[in-house]
Amino acid sequence: MQCSIKYFTTITFSDTDRKKEAYLFIQKLGSKAKLVGELAGNYSTVVLMFGFAIVAMAPALIISRMISPRKRSNPVKFLPMECGQVPSGEGRTHFMMQYYPYILMFVVFDVMAIFLYAWGSSLLEIPKVATLPMMGFLGIMFGAMAFALYQSGRRRIW
Amino acid sequence: MSVIAPKFKLSEFIKSLLDNAFWAVLILSLIGIPAVMTVLFFIEMPVINGELLTPFLALTWIADPSRILPIVHAFMATDIFRVMVFPGFGFAALLAAGTIFVERKMLAKLQLRVGPFYCGKVEGILQLMGDGLKLISKEIIIPAKADKPIFWAAPVLFVAAAAAFVALIPVAPGWVVADVDLGLLGVFAVIGFFPIITILSAWSANSKFPFIGGIRALFQMVSFEIPLILSLLGVVMLTGSLNLSEIAASQSNFPWIVFLPIGAIVFFITMLAELERIPFDLPEAESEIVAGWLTELSGMMYGLVQLGTYLKLYAFAALFVVLFLGGWNGPMVVPPFPAEILTEGIVLGPITANIPGLPLFTQEMLNGTLWFVLKTVAVIFFILLPRGVFPRIRVDMLLNLGWTKLIGLAFVNIFIALGLLYAGVLGPGGLQ
Repeated sequence: MQCSIKYFTTITFSDTDRKKEAYLFIQKLGSKAKLVGELAGNYSTVVLMFGFAIVAMAPALIISRMISPRKRSNPVKFLPMECGQVPSGEGRTHFMMQYYPYILMFVVFDVMAIFLYAWGSSLLEIPKVATLPMMGFLGIMFGAMAFALYQSGRRRIW
Repeated sequence: MSVIAPKFKLSEFIKSLLDNAFWAVLILSLIGIPAVMTVLFFIEMPVINGELLTPFLALTWIADPSRILPIVHAFMATDIFRVMVFPGFGFAALLAAGTIFVERKMLAKLQLRVGPFYCGKVEGILQLMGDGLKLISKEIIIPAKADKPIFWAAPVLFVAAAAAFVALIPVAPGWVVADVDLGLLGVFAVIGFFPIITILSAWSANSKFPFIGGIRALFQMVSFEIPLILSLLGVVMLTGSLNLSEIAASQSNFPWIVFLPIGAIVFFITMLAELERIPFDLPEAESEIVAGWLTELSGMMYGLVQLGTYLKLYAFAALFVVLFLGGWNGPMVVPPFPAEILTEGIVLGPITANIPGLPLFTQEMLNGTLWFVLKTVAVIFFILLPRGVFPRIRVDMLLNLGWTKLIGLAFVNIFIALGLLYAGVLGPGGLQ
């Protein structure tokens, strides 16, 4: 922060009023950045819990590897499971994506659902008129969804 | 039939135990305690109750265990305690273990079987421990040509993602691991990890049945994530907050299920689908594709996935309770801590014990936890029940249900919430 103020004073501004303005602006930026950092810091306990579960559960696999018997190795033992048959073909085959349009629809409408949260969580603060454009947005999305559902129902084009 | 130790002799077993105890005591007293004391003299010790903690003070705990209580208090205020024990991993794992046992006994009763019976003498109460020991002592077989790092990491990541979900659930007022402003969005973010881990595990196994199971899990997530997200929007609109603690606290007068029953039903159905439980257990359909994406997991890897599944079940049930059933709110039934213990101490005949650190938990916290656990257990019961009642549905029925019926009902729920808000029934100036 100190460094950036010096940068402003020496190069861009000579007028004292504008200097003060720039100082306030930078202070505002600084406070905002701090808030963002605090916001992200709140989530550190979620990451802590994630890490704790890994640290607590990985030993279960290691202990299991240490105490369990590992004898009588033969190639058949490590074959993939195919109900007793000798496996044929590849494991990761091309899978027939019969329901592919639903995945395309998901990409669009999942974002729509999250956009609705931005509106829904601030609904008590915004004026009631602001609901009208939202209803228009929903109308457009309903039309799009109906068309997409109709198209995904036509199995022969997929 | 194999026996663990064919030449077992009780006398030799006891002798080995005594030998081990002798060596443990000898090593502890000659090396352990001096080493601990040496280390303690170089560590900066905390100040507890206005008294600097020294190793000598710490040794007095042996004579008077009640002196540990202030330290326990200080420890309970830390994040580590919350993550490891109370609203976090230990509490959730305990409830998950209880759920597994209750599910097995309940399904057995529904199907006129007995269920776990012999292990632990009393109604098979130690069956879970026996299963755990069995799984940990089994060999882990990894299929040839599998992608080994991903295959090993997937079960651990599954448990970790479930634990991160648990971290966002508030159990009692102020008792939550991560009290974040966008808690509900955090929940959606964590839910999004499960299908990724599923499909990574399925892909890395390089086998056909897991691959099909993984693809099915993907479809199931795709068709049920949107109704799941939309069904909770009504609650957020009425509360005006995404913080789960605030949402729970806002239901002190009445739970939201009273006004948003359709949203609760949609959320419950999508919850069953996200948990991959019957009637939506397509990814692990055991009568069609062996065990779905779990086919190649063996030994403790399967055990970890099961633990993660039940942690996730607890977390979803708890989320339902927090959003629709009022979380920790309920009438005060826990009696207050007896005041004479605080002033006079515990009197046992001629002995009077003064324990300054009591009580460990406040009355509100105990009452909130009690109501939360009762409601969560009730929701878990309703999650377990369909497994004994319903058959599995087809993939196209699943997609149709998710994309047309549930999304439509979720929008009906949103409009009900909007109507309640704009008619003045709820929100500012209304009932709440």
